[in-house]
Amino acid sequence: MGLNLGARRLTAVRTDEEAFEALFTAEYARVVRIANRVLADPHEAEDVAQEVFVDFHRLHSATAQYGPAWLHRAAAHASLNRLRGSRRRQKRELAQALDEGDKMLDPQKQAELEEDRRRLRQALGRMAPKPAAVLVLRASGLSYAEVAQALGVGIGQIGTLLRRAEATLRKEVTRGTSE
Amino acid sequence: MVDDPDARVGADAAHLETCSECKANFQVIADDARAVATLLAVPDPRIDVDGAFARVMREPKAQPALGLRLPIFRPARRPALALVAALATAAVVVVAFAAGGFFFQPTKVQAVPITLSDLQALSQLADYGTFNWTKEPQFQISPTAPEGDLQPPVVSKLPAGVSTTVTYGQMSQAVATFKFSAEKAAAAAAAQGKSLPKMPANMDGATLTITVGPAVGEVYGNLEQPSGASGNDINLPQLIVAKSISPTVTATQVSVTEIEDYIVQLPGISDELKKTIGAIGDPTKTLFIPVPVEYGTSKAVNVQGVDGVALGDNTGVGSAVVWIKGGHVWVVAGSIKQSDALDIANNLK
Repeated sequence: MGLNLGARRLTAVRTDEEAFEALFTAEYARVVRIANRVLADPHEAEDVAQEVFVDFHRLHSATAQYGPAWLHRAAAHASLNRLRGSRRRQKRELAQALDEGDKMLDPQKQAELEEDRRRLRQALGRMAPKPAAVLVLRASGLSYAEVAQALGVGIGQIGTLLRRAEATLRKEVTRGTSE
Repeated sequence: MVDDPDARVGADAAHLETCSECKANFQVIADDARAVATLLAVPDPRIDVDGAFARVMREPKAQPALGLRLPIFRPARRPALALVAALATAAVVVVAFAAGGFFFQPTKVQAVPITLSDLQALSQLADYGTFNWTKEPQFQISPTAPEGDLQPPVVSKLPAGVSTTVTYGQMSQAVATFKFSAEKAAAAAAAQGKSLPKMPANMDGATLTITVGPAVGEVYGNLEQPSGASGNDINLPQLIVAKSISPTVTATQVSVTEIEDYIVQLPGISDELKKTIGAIGDPTKTLFIPVPVEYGTSKAVNVQGVDGVALGDNTGVGSAVVWIKGGHVWVVAGSIKQSDALDIANNLK
């Protein structure tokens, strides 16, 4: 039957389930990190990652070469969607754990940094999907080529998209701080 | 350039060293990048991959929708995948739904919002009979427009950022049959511990004959392997336009109403889908496009003076427009804005 063309050859390499496990093992941590970068909440990030992998497994073959790119894009957009939709986000952000660098700050500066982070994520949620995703994926450690692959844009566009997104976000945070 | 060491080489790097204006601009960009990176910094989460994998595999929703996973064409045929996806967009949804029992000789399109539960319920139908190709579809890919009566659509103006590299493709007419079997339905239900509504006597043994295509289409985007990529990598297309002769479905023994009545009784079919099916006037004239409510949005649009459906996923990075005109199903899809997709659709020739 036409839909099964090549399936026998594929089975010889490995089953789809095995391929999915391999893909999961290779990409799960990165997908969680992308979501966590947006949400600043490891538990919610794991929820997003689970959602993304379930969707992928339901609709796509794990042997698809676009798998990692699809997962990265889906992680960015799913978490950005949550960021836009969640009213609980602000509360969570205030309770967000600090990294080592933050602990060196005095309480006043620490509070300012937290406020800037809150504003930054609010602004991120308001941005157009593509520049927001470029920023998040790059900040999560993806190379320019990987970001381009995930979003289906030319690698030459990544630098410009990043620069504009960073400038927009910084302005938003600065504006908020100076108000 | 700020965070891409590879970019800071050659003439650009030399210019940066000597041009005070560029240096100042570079400094602003670098400051922005640093500030944003600092604000986006988060502690690295602790991750239990094995536990997470077990959770995902326990998730019932992780089962394939309609028994199919994409890409349905495997690595040996992957270069054709994007085009096949385009050409078969209408065909696949029709076949998927036709396997659920609708008849078509459609003259218009309509989106049907469906839930995951609906998908799972409808996917059972594939086990209630036997599917066979009478004539398998054949696919051809070429860098030039195919010759023949059915010519690919012509895009008047591409949106900014979409590659002008075009790959053409065609799909031959394909014919498939699906024969309902009360015995297979009962066995499939029993295997899942479910009880089913009794299949009407005249539905048992009824055969649906589904004809799709021929179809032609174009894929915009460089589908060649990116440099440094592994052997099977391809780029995803940015834009796909395709048209297909409207599909038809004929049946023996059983009427549309009988199949509709049977479907709405299946366990798992939502009240919303029941209402939608109940509200369908003449299903033989409408191409139904199932839109999973959890993942996609759709709206009715006017395309070239006829009713069409605009689809978009919730991520906002992909959109599609489908309509029927002049005996053809037309599809425009890609990682473009919905307004661009509509613009292309309205100007497609």
